[in-house]
Amino acid sequence: MLKKINLKNKIALVTGAGKGLGKACSIALAEAGAKVIILSRTKSDLIKVSKIIKKTKGSSEAFVCDVTNVQEFKNILKKISRLDILVNNAGNNRPEHFTEVKRENMEYLTNLNMKAAFNVAQLCSQKMVKAKNRKKIGGSIIHMSSQLGKVGCEGRNVYNMNKFGIEGLARGMAVELAPYNIRVNTVCPTFVETPMVKKFFKNKKFKKQMLSNIPLGRVAKESDVATAVAFLAGETSEMITGTSLVVDGGWTAK
Amino acid sequence: MGLFLKNINLKGKTALITGATKGLGRGTAQAIAEAGGNIIAIGRNQLELNSLGKIIKKLRVKYVSFNCDVNNFNRIKSFISKLKKLDILVNNAGTNIPESFLNVKKSSLETLLNVNTKSAFNIAQLCANQIIRLKRKQGSIINISSIFGLVAGQKRSVYSMTKFGVEGLTKGMALDLAKYNIRVNSVCPNIVLTPRTKKYFADKKYYKYVKESTPINKVVTVSDVATAVAFLASDASSMITGSSIVIDGGWTAK
Repeated sequence: MLKKINLKNKIALVTGAGKGLGKACSIALAEAGAKVIILSRTKSDLIKVSKIIKKTKGSSEAFVCDVTNVQEFKNILKKISRLDILVNNAGNNRPEHFTEVKRENMEYLTNLNMKAAFNVAQLCSQKMVKAKNRKKIGGSIIHMSSQLGKVGCEGRNVYNMNKFGIEGLARGMAVELAPYNIRVNTVCPTFVETPMVKKFFKNKKFKKQMLSNIPLGRVAKESDVATAVAFLAGETSEMITGTSLVVDGGWTAK
Repeated sequence: MGLFLKNINLKGKTALITGATKGLGRGTAQAIAEAGGNIIAIGRNQLELNSLGKIIKKLRVKYVSFNCDVNNFNRIKSFISKLKKLDILVNNAGTNIPESFLNVKKSSLETLLNVNTKSAFNIAQLCANQIIRLKRKQGSIINISSIFGLVAGQKRSVYSMTKFGVEGLTKGMALDLAKYNIRVNSVCPNIVLTPRTKKYFADKKYYKYVKESTPINKVVTVSDVATAVAFLASDASSMITGSSIVIDGGWTAK
């Protein structure tokens, strides 16, 4: 009756895999038995992640890639035989008050969080549907969204726009890819102990304010999010599509 | 527990399941036992409670059953207040009487409100109080909701009213119980093939309607739901509260 998280014989691709959530997801998927293709702009980060995966007896292959460069990403996809799982994770944030948002920051975030996310998802989907037995073996695409894909927050208007967009994209993709048995979902974490968030939390006032917004009174661990991603990646969730797994300690329940 | 992947492990935990004799309740009891959890089953059919006991005991976990109608507040209260161990509630007992809105009988309305809303509330409150009294330091409550807790369906006006209610209750409970580290979530399945829904599926037109409304084009299994419940019951979901896992093959994504 209970299905275990088991990704043996699956090939997964993770973008933004060098640090934070992408790194955690890559390692978790490898721990669940998947072969993981890890992408990042920073070679030294990829080497570190590969070593950890090797230590846990997992299998991985690393490519240096800027996901905003479509051609670069296309070339990497050509080198991969098959793809079953995509963790569309690469993203960034530059908090600014709405009236102060610089045009270049809006462009940068939208190009990365939306345009690149769309392109990566589309190119991977095109590759996934080509597998003749896709309907039988299924596929899973997980977008790294955020609780800010569900609710607004001060200084996060561009990020809100991007992540709400991803929530919409996930639903549209879910409907269109369902005939191929490819499921599409998002994970919506609250603040997670990642290098990016640690930087924001240097501001003590901000940290206190954010923690007071999380009913469980703690930030998420990388493993909380990575486990949710692994749950969505395999047959444990084979009837879950077009929805979000909200890992936010109750932030959006209010 | 790996580096970043948390398994669905319920060893040493005790779960109370209402409506445990059939369908989702029975499957969930089995899944939780498979993950190592002890089972307290509440149901109204002694023979079925006994046969469930045989299955559960084979999994080498403890099994206690209580033959009781969830509407019998005094008996339920006295039973729950005597429990020595309790970590998890699967608030499952529920029913449905499909009738078109204009023809809903007063007696149907009463039945559904009593079972799906009032009893669900009472049992959740009694169990939460007991978990706190036992100083368990953490807990997980899973309300069995439905896609009709998120959207409407033909002849489901009362059912939707009760399940939308359970969605609201879930969020309210999550906030009030967060300080006790008791997490509260719901699962929202599409129509699952169970003894109760068998009669709906017997109608070919209805079966067609369900399949056509489900982009992934399969019917949800009891195992799909039971696995999600076990995930929410375990530490694998320790930052998930006040939320819902939607298991609907894309029904509500449209």
